[in-house]
Amino acid sequence: MGIIRYLGQGSGFLVLLLAVLFVFGVVVFATLRSSRRHHAGRILFPVFFLGLSLIFLILLLNFPVKKQTGIGAGVVPLLWIVGISAFSVLLLVRALLNREAKDPEWGHVGTVFVYLGWTILYLILMQYLGYFISTVLFLLGGMYYLNYRNWKVMIGLAAGWLLFSYFAFYRLLFVPLPAGTLLERFFG
Amino acid sequence: MDLFSNLLTGFGYLVGIQPAVALVAGVIMGILVGAMPGLSPSMGVALLVPFTYKLSPQVSLILLGSIYIAANYGGSITAVTINTPGTPSSVVTSFDGYPLTRLGKPGVGLGTSLVASTVGGIIGTIILIFFSVPLGRLAIKIHPSEYFALAIFGLATVASLAGRNWAKAFLAAMLGLFINTIGIDPISGVERFTFGIYHLFDGFTLIPVLIGLFALSEVFTRLEEGKLEKEKESEFQRSTWPRVRDYWKLKLTVLRSSIIGTLIGIFPGAGATIAAFISYDVAKKTSKHPQTFGKGEPEGVAAAEAANSSSVGGALVPLLVLGIPGSATTAVLIGALMIHNVTPGPLLFVNHPDIVYSLFAALLLANFVLLVLGLFGSRLWIKVTVIPKKVLLPTILVISIVGSFAVHYSFFDVASCVGFGFAGWLLRKYGFPVAPIVLGMVLGGLAETNFRRAVIMGGYGVFFSRPASIIILLLAIASFAIPLIQTHNENKKLRAETGGN
Repeated sequence: MGIIRYLGQGSGFLVLLLAVLFVFGVVVFATLRSSRRHHAGRILFPVFFLGLSLIFLILLLNFPVKKQTGIGAGVVPLLWIVGISAFSVLLLVRALLNREAKDPEWGHVGTVFVYLGWTILYLILMQYLGYFISTVLFLLGGMYYLNYRNWKVMIGLAAGWLLFSYFAFYRLLFVPLPAGTLLERFFG
Repeated sequence: MDLFSNLLTGFGYLVGIQPAVALVAGVIMGILVGAMPGLSPSMGVALLVPFTYKLSPQVSLILLGSIYIAANYGGSITAVTINTPGTPSSVVTSFDGYPLTRLGKPGVGLGTSLVASTVGGIIGTIILIFFSVPLGRLAIKIHPSEYFALAIFGLATVASLAGRNWAKAFLAAMLGLFINTIGIDPISGVERFTFGIYHLFDGFTLIPVLIGLFALSEVFTRLEEGKLEKEKESEFQRSTWPRVRDYWKLKLTVLRSSIIGTLIGIFPGAGATIAAFISYDVAKKTSKHPQTFGKGEPEGVAAAEAANSSSVGGALVPLLVLGIPGSATTAVLIGALMIHNVTPGPLLFVNHPDIVYSLFAALLLANFVLLVLGLFGSRLWIKVTVIPKKVLLPTILVISIVGSFAVHYSFFDVASCVGFGFAGWLLRKYGFPVAPIVLGMVLGGLAETNFRRAVIMGGYGVFFSRPASIIILLLAIASFAIPLIQTHNENKKLRAETGGN
């Protein structure tokens, strides 16, 4: 039990995380170099879930247990972790035994990541410029990036959404949409 | 006869400008609240409570009850048109509603959801009117072991949602159940997997996770597909609206789902989402063509919508008869009643029959108003499906983000929405369905709390000592095993046909 207590907190937990990451990295490397590389995703998904299960298992083994009832905070999560592990092993075996189809083809992954980055930038900008300005920029930029060039529609939609969100969310529902620290500094 | 005369008096109360305006305004507000991802029926009702201070108790309840009825339908509009469920219960509507839109038949999805919602709402209200007292007595006798059995029964629906990917569907459900355990343990107060992040003390909020898993993952999938040049979402035609005989074919599904929805609605804490999942499962199992479910089957839309709308009637049973709020929305309704010095409970029917029966009459009428407004509105909402994708995708992102923020005014929720959207995209790419994650999150709390309560009360054997619990568990096992055996046999047959490849 000493090792579980060590791995469940502080520097021990960091060691556990690094160890799981290292093993996962090795599996990624080995899979991509092997003849099973066309099934890499089918193999790596269950391995990832097994790694996560191990981490959370060690964490929950450190939860306190009520002596009177014997049913502590960790019992139910343990049940679900056992389920996740069991189905992950099943999927892993299926992938290794060729029972799973090859990995799907990747499409325009770059577009997804650019959009994800654009969304994150939008959220960051919202903190400084406020909801309204950043939303206009996000909508116009998002449509422009997808090669949409009908400016009347673009500006109309951005303005329409602003008006709707102002009246529906800000005025009627009292949702405190971020005003933006920069604007607050300039305009109070 | 007292009941009928009281009901007539209730209808009589609705004849007047103020109640009529409250009814129509409530339905319109409810549709808008339901259609907006991030705004739940309970939020819609709560937001309107301050406006009811100066109204009479009857008009207040008419307004709030109409919002409650209409919000459950409103959620289906965005679920069908853009795969963004406006409410958790309309997740199930999107299983077949959105495929219908992709097939160029959004009118079938919208029309079916509207009519099924209306009929479900009416059946739920009728059951509420006639059986509220005996059903109320039943509600207080439900033991935690039976709640746990109900949650397991709900989980067993994953087997039929899964199709050939049953292992992936169960893994997804387990992930949802596990995610639900993050936060402070409701029984012992122990912090579980929060890593000291205070935003996680209450766990992940369901609505942002749901928006991420459905709406954002759909946006990312479309972006990855890259087929944005096909400008419009669907090339619908005016002729794709269902005809009366199409609705008539769904009569049994709607009736059965409405009864299931009302009964599940009575269980405090169960609610519309579980009702929709279970009804969908039952509809699929009893259908002559279960293979079409998930690919644009109107029966699937009807089952989900009838169940979630009828659950409103069920949820009002413990509220009115016992004074127990079974859901967040009914908890807000209790507050609204108390503002007017009306205490819900057994004496409500004796002391304030005027309030109770005007509410019943309003609920019945609200469904008809919903039908009329929905029929007009559907022509408008269907236009969403002809918006070019290059405009629609960024707009969905903006709606999702403001919807996630509006729940708790928290950027953490927004971040979790984006994170789950990204994870949902990857999971869907590799054939993991995301709906079981939502189901797991919805059922997780109910299952865990009642499992532990039941064990504390009677040990592990308690689940096999109560007949109702045993019956529900046996039904769950059958519900779990039958689709799996069918899928196993189909897979075996398929492998034999393709020579083992």
